[in-house]
Amino acid sequence: MSTSTIDRKLLDELREILGADGIVSRATELKVYECDGWTVEKSAPDVLLLPRSTAQLSAILAALHRRGIAFVPRGAGTGLSGGCLSLNAPAMICTSKMNRILEIDFDNRRVEAESGVVNLHVTNAVKSKGYFYAPDPSSQVACTIGGNIAENSGGPHTLKYGVTTNHVLALEVVLPDGEVVELGGPAEERCGYDLVGAVVGAEGTAGIVTRATLKLMREPENHRTLLAAFPDADTATRAVSMIIASGIVPAALEMMDQLIIRAVEEAFNVGLPLDAGAVLIIELEGLEAGLTTYADEVAKTANLAGASSVRLARDEAERALLWKARKRAFGAVGRLAPNYATQDGVVPRTCLPRILRVIAEVSRRYDLRIGNVFHAGDGNLHPIILYDEREPDQVRRAIDAGREILKACIDMGGSLTGEHGIGVEKLGEMPLMFSPDDLRVMTELRHVFDPMERSNPGKVIPQPGACVEVAAPRRQVPI
Amino acid sequence: MAAPSLIPLNPVRGVSDYDLLFDCVHCGLCAEACPTYIVTRCEMDSPRGRIYLMKSLAEGRMGLDDDAVRHFDLCPGCRGCETACPSGVHYGRLIEGARLLVEQNHRRSFVDRFKRRAIGAIFPYPHRLRMLLAPLKLVDRFGLRPVLGAVLPRMIHDWLDLLPPLEPDLRPLAAKATIAPRTDAPAVVVHRGCVAQVLANSENLNSERLLGAAGYRVVQLEPTSCCGALDLHSGNGSRARDFARANVRALKNAGADAIVSAASGCSVAIAEYGDLLKDEPEFAEDARAVSSKVRDLSSLLLDAPARPKREFRCRVTYHDACHLVHGLGVREAPRKLLASIPGVTIVEMTESELCCGSAGSYNLTEPAMARDLARRKADNIIAAGADYVVLANPGCEFQIAAELRRRGSKIKVVHLADFLAMASQ
Ligand SMILES: Cc1cc2nc3c(=O)[nH]c(=O)nc-3n(C[C@H](O)[C@H](O)[C@H](O)COP(=O)(O)OP(=O)(O)OC[C@H]3O[C@@H](n4cnc5c(N)ncnc54)[C@H](O)[C@@H]3O)c2cc1C
Ligand code: SF4
Ligand code: SF4
Repeated sequence: MSTSTIDRKLLDELREILGADGIVSRATELKVYECDGWTVEKSAPDVLLLPRSTAQLSAILAALHRRGIAFVPRGAGTGLSGGCLSLNAPAMICTSKMNRILEIDFDNRRVEAESGVVNLHVTNAVKSKGYFYAPDPSSQVACTIGGNIAENSGGPHTLKYGVTTNHVLALEVVLPDGEVVELGGPAEERCGYDLVGAVVGAEGTAGIVTRATLKLMREPENHRTLLAAFPDADTATRAVSMIIASGIVPAALEMMDQLIIRAVEEAFNVGLPLDAGAVLIIELEGLEAGLTTYADEVAKTANLAGASSVRLARDEAERALLWKARKRAFGAVGRLAPNYATQDGVVPRTCLPRILRVIAEVSRRYDLRIGNVFHAGDGNLHPIILYDEREPDQVRRAIDAGREILKACIDMGGSLTGEHGIGVEKLGEMPLMFSPDDLRVMTELRHVFDPMERSNPGKVIPQPGACVEVAAPRRQVPI
Repeated sequence: MAAPSLIPLNPVRGVSDYDLLFDCVHCGLCAEACPTYIVTRCEMDSPRGRIYLMKSLAEGRMGLDDDAVRHFDLCPGCRGCETACPSGVHYGRLIEGARLLVEQNHRRSFVDRFKRRAIGAIFPYPHRLRMLLAPLKLVDRFGLRPVLGAVLPRMIHDWLDLLPPLEPDLRPLAAKATIAPRTDAPAVVVHRGCVAQVLANSENLNSERLLGAAGYRVVQLEPTSCCGALDLHSGNGSRARDFARANVRALKNAGADAIVSAASGCSVAIAEYGDLLKDEPEFAEDARAVSSKVRDLSSLLLDAPARPKREFRCRVTYHDACHLVHGLGVREAPRKLLASIPGVTIVEMTESELCCGSAGSYNLTEPAMARDLARRKADNIIAAGADYVVLANPGCEFQIAAELRRRGSKIKVVHLADFLAMASQ
């Protein structure tokens, strides 16, 4: 960990490399960089650097390396686990100006892009030819490819297409000392160690990704999108298991509970049944021939499981509306409470009914409203805990409630995070899932890329010897 | 590194509406819908960043300094963020609050004060603007504007550049309705605005004639005063309310069922009178009633029974004026109307909903950013390959036309009302 600070001489050197509009060092302007989507903790960097190219990025990392100064990478700052919180890292490096799509190769179905390119912009650039980039986090209108790689992000269509790591062929990474390395290659099948795989999901602790070669997928011939309403969440989750057990793998299988349905309806007026306890959005895709049969089958299964109604999206407009509602559900929750914390646990699919009961019980015990909107097909939960940051006691309860839910996930044989990452938010829970030996091996792997732990210090791996029960979050503003 | 700080129990009132700030959940989904973020790619020029600054100010975690003011000033108030925000943030109200705070607590540079005073003293008053422009009209008659531009200081030169040619208005007017509308037909009033009635009166007249031809009863507004948007967007709340009251009175007396304006910024300002005057018992109710009557020209024309149209063969791209699309949510109606003209092919430009940089007097106070946005808009327009850019706001028309003129482009920029008039000739 670094304690060096940034002096005038270094600032001049950095300004020399980046130009005047590539560096921000005034307190007011840095203030807006003090947190990402996880707003519980706040800490501003001392300087913000906005490189425009790999060469610039490499030069600034080398300059920081010579002074032993730590840094934190940042994309669009939509992360939900405090991944780009500036913790003992005086310099923040944001990729927002590295947003060029470099090459589109339709023949080989791949695209090369700088890491600051917005996720949706990749699909926008190729959709006229019938292609798309499959990982589709709900934040895709804003989050960057670099952030997706760091968090190994997924989305509703993860069920069929997998997460980010399944779609990255090659990476250009600048190591913390400024060295530029190329990992992976254009071929789908690689030999040797999977170094790309080691960087994807490293949450910025293995240097800064500058370029990525991504796979493109062919738009399926057609879709069927169904909206099934259920009297309660229990029945809905049972339907999820029954649908998957029937042998049909939908492209997406998403659930929203009553709290979320109400928020979404208020925001977007999509015509979700307000009296339902939960709804499932089920999307099937593939060749037109057969789709109708599959859709009928899914509808039958949902009805058998106890659905109160099943509706098929009539046209593309209705389908788009359903997805808009689903993808903007997190935000819509902002209408219900001043703040929310989104959890991101995973459980085996069959445990969904059980974990939802735990969540409901936690909600009652902590006296906090908790909504559920999640990737049901993968068992990837997103309980959204509503609170008001102006009430210190509520903040503490929100943190504790989240922690208890995550612990229950692990107890059921699940995981701490499906896609939002550990960041600082879930550092304290890492030892619940990993033994000291596991954590040591992870640290050793990290040292291959970042021996001095200068790249995003204090994230992912808890400091050895640190108290396992991290009782109070660091630098928490409201308490 | 920042020390932990506390949220004060008594937030500073007067920085926007403190409770409204909490609608923002800091998700960041609005960034790429924000023109200034797209240009600078910095968080403090994004909606989330600006809201965060407001909140930090309200919580006393920072003071109002030049930097904060600069990032508020740089916001054209396009409200693209309101459309993008899933959480329903009322950004327009937040930024208006912040602007009031700035004007009351921050001393601007001399040049800045001069510019803003000049704009505030002239624009809202059509007779003053006419007087000021009279000599220029003469200059234009002899085609001497370039000569004049060359000898004037840079700032004035840039302002002149944005003005449309002032030759006698050559834009065609729609034929007046030949049949008098039925007495029970809905009455519509066209608010003629302030700058618009001087620089783009054909748009007002054509709106009236088109509505008349569609069977509406067009009633006149006496007197017409500025809607107050200019003041609202520059932190002069008290004069904005003065204008609002005058308009509420006049609009109520006009007794119209619908209120339209050729300038979408005015429409939105009128649509928000209810909110602006909600604490004035004498006006609140009337203001709400007036606000609820605001409509847009294209929706009214679409509502009327369709009549056969002449063919007008051309390629048209439609630019979504900010306040029309983000303020009133009007997206489809103008496109439908254009598509209903035989021979018109609509070609969509990319980023049709992105601000062109005109934004009221923004292109005069923030010329550099306004120019960046104009360039981006012009690039997108040219790439679309259309003969006409149609839009429904005079400010956008001047701004885009100026940029296309600089490029030597032949693409014509026409207000929707003028375009419909032209197509029906
Ligand atoms: C409303 C909302 C919905 C969301 N929905 C989903 C969802 O469905 N699925 C999902 O997976 N996530 C979701 N997220 C979380 C978040 O959007 C993702 O984690 C996203 O990948 C973060 O991208 P970003 O560009 O914002 O990264 P940031 O938040 O800026 O950074 C995230 C992490 O990546 C690191 N990082 C960023 N860029 C680089 C780089 N170039 N090289 C190395 N490290 C880097 C940072 O240091 C940090 O640790 C959601 C967030 C919000 C606010
Ligand atoms: S304004 Fe809306 S979209 Fe933007 S950060 Fe706030 S809540 Fe999210
Ligand atoms: S009003 Fe427009 S420029 Fe201002 S913050 Fe919102 S999107 Fe950005």
